Amino acid sequence: MQCLHCDLSEQGHRVRLGEGEGEKQMAICTGCSLLCEDIVASFENGSLKHAKNLCRRGHGHFQAALTERMRPMIDGEQVAIDKAIERAAEILKSAKRPLLYGWSHCTLAAQSAGIALAEKLGATAEVTLDGASSFCEGILMERMLSGKIATCTLDDVRNYADTSIFWGSDPSSSHPRHLSRFSYYPRGEKRQRSYEEERTCIAVDVRRSPTAQLCSNYYFRLQPGGDAQFMEAILAVLDGKIPKVADKKKMIELASLLKKTEWGAIFPGPGLIYSLLDKMELFEQLLRRLNEITSFKVVPMVGDCNARGLCELLFEKTGHAGSIFFQGGSTAYGAEHSVLAAAKKCDAVLAVGSDPLSDLPIGTARDLARQPIIAIDPRRSLTTDAAKVVIPSALTGLEAGGTAVRMDGVKINFEPVLKSDLLTDEQILARIMEAI
Amino acid sequence: MAEIEVALVAVRDIFQDEAGRKSLFSEEYRILSAQIILDRQDMANLAVKDGDKLLVKSEAGSIVVTARASKDDAREAHPGMAFMALSPWYSQLATEAQCESNSVKAKLAIAPTGAAVTAISEIQARIKS
Repeated sequence: MQCLHCDLSEQGHRVRLGEGEGEKQMAICTGCSLLCEDIVASFENGSLKHAKNLCRRGHGHFQAALTERMRPMIDGEQVAIDKAIERAAEILKSAKRPLLYGWSHCTLAAQSAGIALAEKLGATAEVTLDGASSFCEGILMERMLSGKIATCTLDDVRNYADTSIFWGSDPSSSHPRHLSRFSYYPRGEKRQRSYEEERTCIAVDVRRSPTAQLCSNYYFRLQPGGDAQFMEAILAVLDGKIPKVADKKKMIELASLLKKTEWGAIFPGPGLIYSLLDKMELFEQLLRRLNEITSFKVVPMVGDCNARGLCELLFEKTGHAGSIFFQGGSTAYGAEHSVLAAAKKCDAVLAVGSDPLSDLPIGTARDLARQPIIAIDPRRSLTTDAAKVVIPSALTGLEAGGTAVRMDGVKINFEPVLKSDLLTDEQILARIMEAI
Repeated sequence: MAEIEVALVAVRDIFQDEAGRKSLFSEEYRILSAQIILDRQDMANLAVKDGDKLLVKSEAGSIVVTARASKDDAREAHPGMAFMALSPWYSQLATEAQCESNSVKAKLAIAPTGAAVTAISEIQARIKS
């Protein structure tokens, strides 16, 4: 695919800078769900000239604005954007079981438009709307949004937390500024001394991840799937019993540390969630027990920039955070409506801001690739390569403004840093809605 | 041909992630994605060294990747457990059941091979097949 600076006659593909080429601008990074608000960046001659406060992940995200951009296409042939939108609407309108997938890189407004589209299509078809978080963070999010799990903001963590537990998560790799902005290194309202004095971080993981390496004395290595047993051991020690683990001394030391904690935060990641799944009550039980002794809150390590936003919108609408089925004005929820199940029976796929053919298991990717795929995406991916219709969109955060929900539930508004004539996800979805 | 079984754990890698954000089709992303980190004892059992190519098979499919020796010291040895970064290469080995439950329980057969590392174009062809 050609880059952003190729000569395109339609759809104004070329990016223009906000306030003038080369000028430094404040920006929000939508590279992950931390949505860092203190980025200073400038672009010049088609490349990122200056960047301050960007992590490595964010740097890649900002550079992505300038590479492998998509053009409107039908069956691999370049077309006018209107044609691509029209064809997408035709496919969705004639589908009996469309799957609307992705959404976690979209703004709240685009996600709302996606839900409205599902409702509209659902009047005459069986529609599934799902995102990548539904079989991971979504499980935890649903319990959190229903009030079963106590949560807090990351600003609370910075101000009050003296103990942070990274459980099945590795923010040094997934959210590189998590520790420096919130959970370990910064000084906060009640944490004015250095982190060595004021804060303790604990890593529970199956490997000595980059984050676990920082936790030195408090790294607890589990066998894959061993999280439930580890929780039971903590509960046993907290209740004065002998834990059923090899290193009893270390477990007693951990329980002692937890008891002494003034204000603790747990950051569960995919490792914990995949491991527990139907045993999530055990995690709730541990939290209840810890909160009888001291204060412990949970902030899920949501991956994509607005994955939590989708969970919240769906929960508000349906009481569930993902895998929603729309038909005849009513909704249903369950594993039978997940993307994995829907891929087997759908007859059209709308992939918005996601790359399911890269991310999902090969069997599901094959199922999806057999159907006509409409890919709304700023950049080239395995899904856009296999799509029947490609509709290029403005990059959320860089070229498209809006609102996203940070991993802790705080809404972050952002303005575009780069001017672009590309339509936003929301505008594309509105035009598809109009055409249906 | 030596073969062993391992549990494969999907992990995040900041360098691989950055490369993927720049381009999923780049050589840099392929190098960082199409590699499997193995315990040193497992590598000895397979008689492979860092940089050798391995055929990795699972219930879902197979790929050729580069073997990388774990940097963990002896206290952190993890025989029978291997790591790969989340990527289209990892997705070739995952089944739907593993995606919905615990992805770490995948059993893999690994054998040394003289074949080249699986290319992204080959993965795309498999998806379309």
